[in-house]
Amino acid sequence: MSGPLDRHVSRRWFLDRMAWVSAAAAGQAVLPTGAGATTPRRRAWVADLPTPAVQQQDLTELTLAETVALVRDGRLDPEALIDAHVDRIERYDHAYQAYADRADRETLKAFARTTPADGVDAALRGVCIAPKDNFYTSDMLTEGGSLVYEGFQPDYDATVVATMRAAGALVIGKAQMGNLAGGRARVYGTTTPTTRNAWTPDDVRYSPAGSSSGTGTAVAARLAVAGLGTQTGGSVLGPGNAQGLTCMKPTFGRVSLHGVIPLSHTRDHVGSMARNALDAAILLQVIAHPDPLDPRTMGLPPNPDYVRAATPHPGANPAVRWPTRVGIWPGWAEGRDAALRSDFLDWLQSAGNVHFVGEVTPPDQWDELTSSPLGGSHGDPTAFFIEHLRRDVRLFAERLPRFLNGMLQSADTYVKVQQARLLLLHRMQEQLFNQCDVVLVDGTGAFDGTGLPAMCMPIGLGRDDETGAEVPRGVTLAALPFGEERLFAVAAAYQAVTQHHTRRPPDPTV
Amino acid sequence: MRTPQVPPQPTDAELDRYILTRYALLGIDISVLPESDPEAPMDQERLLANGRSILRQDVVAADFEIDPQFHLPTPHPAPFVAWTAESDR
Repeated sequence: MSGPLDRHVSRRWFLDRMAWVSAAAAGQAVLPTGAGATTPRRRAWVADLPTPAVQQQDLTELTLAETVALVRDGRLDPEALIDAHVDRIERYDHAYQAYADRADRETLKAFARTTPADGVDAALRGVCIAPKDNFYTSDMLTEGGSLVYEGFQPDYDATVVATMRAAGALVIGKAQMGNLAGGRARVYGTTTPTTRNAWTPDDVRYSPAGSSSGTGTAVAARLAVAGLGTQTGGSVLGPGNAQGLTCMKPTFGRVSLHGVIPLSHTRDHVGSMARNALDAAILLQVIAHPDPLDPRTMGLPPNPDYVRAATPHPGANPAVRWPTRVGIWPGWAEGRDAALRSDFLDWLQSAGNVHFVGEVTPPDQWDELTSSPLGGSHGDPTAFFIEHLRRDVRLFAERLPRFLNGMLQSADTYVKVQQARLLLLHRMQEQLFNQCDVVLVDGTGAFDGTGLPAMCMPIGLGRDDETGAEVPRGVTLAALPFGEERLFAVAAAYQAVTQHHTRRPPDPTV
Repeated sequence: MRTPQVPPQPTDAELDRYILTRYALLGIDISVLPESDPEAPMDQERLLANGRSILRQDVVAADFEIDPQFHLPTPHPAPFVAWTAESDR
């Protein structure tokens, strides 16, 4: 197969799957029994990563790709990386308040010593990762930013946490998050904000965005190399855009949700949060695989080579790796960030392999299909939380309505919402992505509800009206199901000729 | 035979009683919340207003017709593309 996967979820693959189903019915087939059984995780990319030209004095400034390459070459000791990150956390996290719980230095070092230096499963050896506090961790609390889970200590790791650890990653701490995956991080059960935006560490007013607030801040503030967030309604890309990060919310089903505190079983996505497209791609390459404990991940096309997609393609300017039509949502070029967006569009129109199609025409009945109730997920969380609702509704604080709504939304509406999702997907396929391969949008609700991939990256700095602070501005790109390569390719080409993704926020002054 | 008539729309008070009955049926007590306190993370007044909104949205959903012969209820549309080779559309 040549070209990205989005246009090649093939008939042949479908027929192969049907053959498997037939064989299974005859008692012949063997189900994949382990992570990656049908999709061998690629490790060749570890060898292919270029060695950084200049050794950073501050190890927290290394990107994930640079870290992997230096550790691979034996030029960097994972214990030095641990010291650098833990030192910085101990010095500054009282201001950022990015972490809800942390691993201690010696535990991390002991773990690092158990990871083989040259094993195929050592792809992330020494990489300090900050998962959001809704990922189960067997050695740290998992409280979901909420009184509901206060003091909860799982006895196993979420699949993605286990996968990262098997690859040698170091879970340096659990990042604060909005209450049960909604809004910015706050003192549990109150409206008092905690986590600061990494760009305004001395001013709590400017939001880090949510709900993956702590992960966003930890990565932007160099308290972790990369992180994992979750997105049900913009919760990865929101903090990413607010803090100058490059993040990928992949197609629904690409990454296991086993061991993640649920919000919506139909819309929750695990996303990679990083400092550039290559880092986000590396993380996705490791965590995206079939998981028998989450059947939603099974039976999908094999994962393509995300790392290759996020590696700038040689050529003029440089070119986006594949010929790609890019459109913008009506009105996207106007508004607060018009000047920055204009610059971005200038680049798009000069980039090799990009055909800029201008404003797209939205699919029929877009507003009805993407707004409440048809575009929502009101009934999803209630069933999972009945025991806690009975225990004390005050535990849910400002999020209580979201968790009670399932008792009020009727079954016929719930069915209609699910019909509307498929109708919307069909309309997006036939009436939106017939015009383009990648679309620039402001909101991601329609893409969360249908499970389409979306990505964000910074395009410059702007001035916040309330605080006067200079803060990152970003763009959001979306694509067809399994279109992650397209998104990575566009972001990588842009980041090859710009430096916005390398900007580092100021340290706290207190 | 009587001709069916469109019933009058329920009042806020009627919907509130419905909502509270539904919560009570499942053993959920919202009386522990303040009745009305904009400074509190949540209060009964806001909760009931939200509940009424959800109930009334059922009408919006019911009025939106989608042909089930072509668009089945699908909780996970994106993977459905792979499972049904939908990208060949």
